Amino acid sequence: MTRPSLVRLTAVFAWIGLASLGGGRSAYFHDALVVRRRWLRDEEFLQDLAVSQVMPGPNFSNLAVALGHRLRGYPGGACALLALVLPGCLLFLALALFLREGLGPDATHVLYGMGAAVVVLVLVMTWRILVVGIRGRVSVILAAGTFLAVGPLRLPTYVGIAAMIVLGLWLNRPRASDALTPRESD
Amino acid sequence: MDLVRLAWTFLWLSFLCIGGGLGIVPEIERQAVTAHQWISSREFVDAYTIAQLTPGPNMKIAAFIGYAARGPLGALVAAVAMFVPPAILTALVSQHWGRFRGRPWALASEHTLAAIGMGLMAGGCYTLARSAIHDVRSGAIAVGAALALMTGRVPPLPVVLAAGLAGWLLG
Repeated sequence: MTRPSLVRLTAVFAWIGLASLGGGRSAYFHDALVVRRRWLRDEEFLQDLAVSQVMPGPNFSNLAVALGHRLRGYPGGACALLALVLPGCLLFLALALFLREGLGPDATHVLYGMGAAVVVLVLVMTWRILVVGIRGRVSVILAAGTFLAVGPLRLPTYVGIAAMIVLGLWLNRPRASDALTPRESD
Repeated sequence: MDLVRLAWTFLWLSFLCIGGGLGIVPEIERQAVTAHQWISSREFVDAYTIAQLTPGPNMKIAAFIGYAARGPLGALVAAVAMFVPPAILTALVSQHWGRFRGRPWALASEHTLAAIGMGLMAGGCYTLARSAIHDVRSGAIAVGAALALMTGRVPPLPVVLAAGLAGWLLG
């Protein structure tokens, strides 16, 4: 594992921020940092993903902070946040103010087509994370339960998360036999 | 006074935001449109569409609402309130998580949270797909994009731009 310099980290995170169409999706980070650059291992990424998902606040920027912190400590976390949020924010502000009168029909059609492709892109990248991230029966149950709750069932997110945390802690509860051999399969 | 109210509103909104920004969109609208009348309902919908199709986190919509309320300074205050406090918390937790990891309950929590995170990502995809692919036209564009991406030869950006062109031509 090579660890990048602060400048390189900032540049790469800024690029991830700019390339992440469709509203920040964590899958873009996996693709850029684990699959393509090999700065991080799958386990490290998944650990940071878990932390960022349960921390309050926008997930995507939290993940950037957690990953930046892992790569370069607190300065890495700060640069990661700035690099990820600022360029997209300025671009968005410029565009939103420019289009403040409302979108014209041409722009709507272009955005409509791009939106469909972006979803496919996000699906492909998310699939790659799910394949490495869901291991063991308990994980399948929890992931599927969460998906059903926040997806098709449209329950409030915090209700789904709270229910699954209770269920998950019980299913994953430490057992006497685990003391010496932590179960890596879950 | 408005700046304080902006900061406070986006601060608590950001802490409500658990497991993905999509969940708090209705609450943001309630605050910005109904409660404080910083922007109109129409402006909110358009801004959200543009937020989804410009790069970076969707919650940058906070900056737009802040701008509408109090100009550039408002944008800065709203964005900082939305992004910085949770970021500090995340960095602190990341820093200390390693030390707790070895303990049995910490491991149980990590396994649990990781699996829930997977489910949330899948759920986010579902919500996104339902709003973006809902008729024959968008379905056809999606299938075309999937075929192009599965070859592994075409980088994502040209695919998305081509899809935009297709949307315009079919529209």
